Amino acid sequence: MHQPVTTNPFIIMLINMTVVFIVLIALMYLIKLIHFIDPTKPKEKKVETPAVVSAPAQPVETPAPVESNNEEIVAAITAAISSMGVTGVVKAIRPINRDGWKQSGRAFNMNY
Amino acid sequence: MEFINAFVVSLQSVWNDSGFAAFTLGHGIMILVGLILLYLAIVKEFEPLLLGPIAFGCILANIPETGFFGEEMNVMKAINYGIAYEIFPPLIFLGIGAMTDFSPLLARPVTLMLGAAAQIGVFVALAGAMVLGFTVHEAAAIGIIGGADGPTSIYLSTKLAPHLLGAIAVAAYSYMSLVPLIQPPVMMLLTSQKEREIQMENLRPVTRFERIVFPIVATIFISLLLPSIAALLGCLMLGNLFRESGVMDRLSDTAQNALCNMVTIFLATGTGMTMSAESFLVKETLLIIVLGLIAFIGGTAGGLILGKIMSKATGGKINPLIGSAGVSAVPMAARVSQMVGMKSKPGNYLLMHAMGPNVAGVIGTAVAAGTMLAMLK
Repeated sequence: MHQPVTTNPFIIMLINMTVVFIVLIALMYLIKLIHFIDPTKPKEKKVETPAVVSAPAQPVETPAPVESNNEEIVAAITAAISSMGVTGVVKAIRPINRDGWKQSGRAFNMNY
Repeated sequence: MEFINAFVVSLQSVWNDSGFAAFTLGHGIMILVGLILLYLAIVKEFEPLLLGPIAFGCILANIPETGFFGEEMNVMKAINYGIAYEIFPPLIFLGIGAMTDFSPLLARPVTLMLGAAAQIGVFVALAGAMVLGFTVHEAAAIGIIGGADGPTSIYLSTKLAPHLLGAIAVAAYSYMSLVPLIQPPVMMLLTSQKEREIQMENLRPVTRFERIVFPIVATIFISLLLPSIAALLGCLMLGNLFRESGVMDRLSDTAQNALCNMVTIFLATGTGMTMSAESFLVKETLLIIVLGLIAFIGGTAGGLILGKIMSKATGGKINPLIGSAGVSAVPMAARVSQMVGMKSKPGNYLLMHAMGPNVAGVIGTAVAAGTMLAMLK
């Protein structure tokens, strides 16, 4: 090990944080560049904003009929809800456009 | 009479060769430490896959007369070489790369900034360590605990302060398992209810092209800039390439399962083996544990503060809670962001948004380690 350039902790902090930020900012622009040159990216379409977007969120959604004919899935979901101590009848099962639970499940076992 | 003599001499010889004859109070204390860590791993489930073998290695390291670190080669010595020659941390990174989805980062690259800001904890601890009398090399190795990245902590301490490896590794992994306890109070303190309730827009889809090109470009760029971390970062990105290429599934599977598990066993047991009474029962260990906590809190605060700034700058599009995930600890820190966000507003899914700064934190910690190596080694 050679003699360090400086032993002043604040100068070390300043230099290191500057380098970390510069490298990660450069990486950010590299990611943007990759996205920019990506020949496979889908063409951006102008999506007409539906009126629903500006409307305030409905506090309670009206229960809709169960959209799945698969009785096993309905039974499994009902059993899972019951096991959490919630009683009641499952009135509606609708897929939502969010993958939080799926991603949570995937991430669950990858601690290091 | 001769028989009794021979019997006594043999018994004496067995006793003299036994560990009991050389057993000291220090060994007893360290075996107790190992047992406590085993309890935490098995009963409390604090990072059991890591603390378990670390604890067992600690017990083994404190049994006298084993000859583990003598002249002759043996399995424990071979494992120790894997740490001393920095073989295991990059191999762990290979597995981590194969397990990690960089899509949230690629979809919102600005979150890289949060991974950079969270590195402030590293340097707060470094400054604290130097004030407490550690050398600059020791302080740098201690500070990296704040990166909340086990393999990088081990990698840097073997290069800069190998005599502190045991204490640093134990502090790093202990605090990583305590992230759900350490971070939420800091998050509650530094953010308002309104900020915590911010719901972020869905991430854009990321193409296969982006997911394949990113690890290649990132490796070339960062390795050219900081060659000292080329092994760590290269393995991380190679593992990720296995995963994303779609044509190396067998390698990806091996890297994230069999290989990662095997190397974890070696790395964690070997780290535990460094916790001998002579090197661990010193006042520096206590200081390292305190400094590690300061580093974690500092890193969490750094990410949150930049998160707040970004939230203001984007007109409330970014929830500052994802900033705390910049301290690495993949994916625990991201899960904590999700947990606190959900508590503030049920249905507020922050997990995938927090995975961006979380993986940025891994890269940021590696870059911080590389910069310190360039400056100090």
